[in-house]
Amino acid sequence: MSSLKKSFNVRCRDFIHAGEASISVQQLLKQMHIDPVLIRRIAICGYEGEMNVVMHGGDGIYCVEINTDRIVLDISDKGPGIADIAKAMEKGFSTASDEYREMGFGAGMGLPNMKKNADEMIVESEPGCGTRVRMSFIIKQSTPT
Amino acid sequence: MVPEYISFVEKFCTGCSQCVRVCPTKTIRIRNNKAVFFDELCIGCGECTRVCPEGAVSSSISVIEPCMKDKLNVVIVSPVLYAQFPGVMPSDVLIGLNEMGFDHAIDLSYYLEMFQYAVDEFVLENRKSNNAPWPLISPICPVVIRLIVLNYPNLLDHILPLRRPVSLLGDEIREKLSHEHGVDKKDIIIYHITPCHAKVVPDRSGLMDELGFIDRALGINRIYPGLKQKLEQVKELELSLFPNEHFSFVPSTRGPLWGMSGGEIAGMRIDNVIAVSGVKETMAYLEKIEMGLFSDMEYIEFRACTEGCLGGPLTAVDRYMAKSTVQKFIKMFGIGRRLPRHKIRQLYDKGWFFSRIKPSELAGVYKSKRKPLTFDDMKKIEKLMSLIHGSDCGACGAPDCKTFAEDVVTEAADLKACFKMKE
Ligand SMILES: Nc1ncnc2c1ncn2[C@@H]1O[C@H](COP(=O)(O)OP(=O)(O)OP(=O)(O)O)[C@@H](O)[C@H]1O
Ligand code: SF4
Ligand SMILES: [Mg+2]
Repeated sequence: MSSLKKSFNVRCRDFIHAGEASISVQQLLKQMHIDPVLIRRIAICGYEGEMNVVMHGGDGIYCVEINTDRIVLDISDKGPGIADIAKAMEKGFSTASDEYREMGFGAGMGLPNMKKNADEMIVESEPGCGTRVRMSFIIKQSTPT
Repeated sequence: MVPEYISFVEKFCTGCSQCVRVCPTKTIRIRNNKAVFFDELCIGCGECTRVCPEGAVSSSISVIEPCMKDKLNVVIVSPVLYAQFPGVMPSDVLIGLNEMGFDHAIDLSYYLEMFQYAVDEFVLENRKSNNAPWPLISPICPVVIRLIVLNYPNLLDHILPLRRPVSLLGDEIREKLSHEHGVDKKDIIIYHITPCHAKVVPDRSGLMDELGFIDRALGINRIYPGLKQKLEQVKELELSLFPNEHFSFVPSTRGPLWGMSGGEIAGMRIDNVIAVSGVKETMAYLEKIEMGLFSDMEYIEFRACTEGCLGGPLTAVDRYMAKSTVQKFIKMFGIGRRLPRHKIRQLYDKGWFFSRIKPSELAGVYKSKRKPLTFDDMKKIEKLMSLIHGSDCGACGAPDCKTFAEDVVTEAADLKACFKMKE
């Protein structure tokens, strides 16, 4: 089965380039004529994941793997990690600083939104070492690719 | 094939590739030293017509059609026209058009104001019920609509399903005039003087119900020299009476303001609004809306042209000069409201403002005919890119190396066109 992998570097606190990896993936998927609704779900998850790395994580890597039956986003960083993952997954939980809140982030909706939009999501984290979020999206056979 | 929006004179084309570089949807290539077009990707923004140094690429409506005798010639005036004549009152501009032979010259600002009220109503209603997908996108700029149909189909249901002011007015006018003058509707020719390159092709701007309301579009830049001459005569005659005895649609400042970026939202009561102008900026915002951003906004005014329609490709005067003229109007007259809200509400409740075509029905109306890229294609593209390792020099006739690699893989270009690949 053929698959395509691509990865992008994401830099912590680099708000100028934040979101670029997600946009590139979005454009790539469009060129492959993936179902627009699926692209939108992936775009939302990718962007939230990327922003979490930029805001809360350390430098990281944003990988996308496109297979005929599924698309996987694998976003990992070498930041401070998440102490209590279950808590972080709750709607409204956020440790974002005032500065970030002023920028319009910190509603604590990122991880819950990702959970909602991905078909499967695994969050792994080791405090002090980093965080890895993997999300998969199933490509329905009926949708033309 | 050359897109309908464009008139292309091949013998003038020197293959300089300036149009190739500015095209936001990458529709143009150079082959054998001449521009060639992928017609179906053209969104009618007119960027290529702005940069062509040889006059080979120009707008397909630049030809002015003479007013027809034995017909009733009516012209709907884009308020951007007023901004082309500093020191001239909008009502005098309308008189000038009468002098040029139009039986009726009709101002739009009344309808612009109505449209703004209707947007307020729509947003307030949906804010309560939370029915609409936020942010709503302005239906005004046809280029933006086409861009969404082509590249951002996910966002179609964000487009506000209201008819554009021009189509609302065109509808009314034909009705009224045929009644008043006892003429057949077919004998009324409605012209629209516009800065907008995308209004050229009624079929395409008809997407949002304009079809049938406007018979001919005229570029401002074409009518400008003749009108300027007439206006000088008008000044001498001191004819500054209000024309349009049949229509009490006297120009207001809201019209000229509308042409500026931010002018559409300036008249609204809703607060969570932004105005974005420029085709690149618009694309960047649309991408972000697709990623779920700006959902706390209620309405976004997009204009494909930088600074809004004052910067339209068919204007005669530089956009910043035009803006200064508009600002003078505002200083002189302010921006009052003239319409009683309850009247608009009645029309709104009757469904008068609503577009008959649902924006979501536009999906797939225009589609790229390019093949979807497969995994193998993607891999090949990546491999090519590492070989080319280029600087987007453009010698191959594509706008950049990546697009060239895609063209090669989809067999739309020959690898040898890249000078690095020649050996
Ligand atoms: N990559 C990460 N590294 C460290 N902590 C993280 C990371 N991602 C999320 N977190 C923690 O989980 C919390 C919740 O994340 P979530 O994305 O749900 O909300 P948020 O980023 O704070 O706000 P929003 O995403 O709504 O702007 C964050 O406040 C942060 O403490
Ligand atoms: S900004 Fe105005 S002139 Fe330019 S394309 Fe859009 S509607 Fe036409
Ligand atoms: Mg977040």
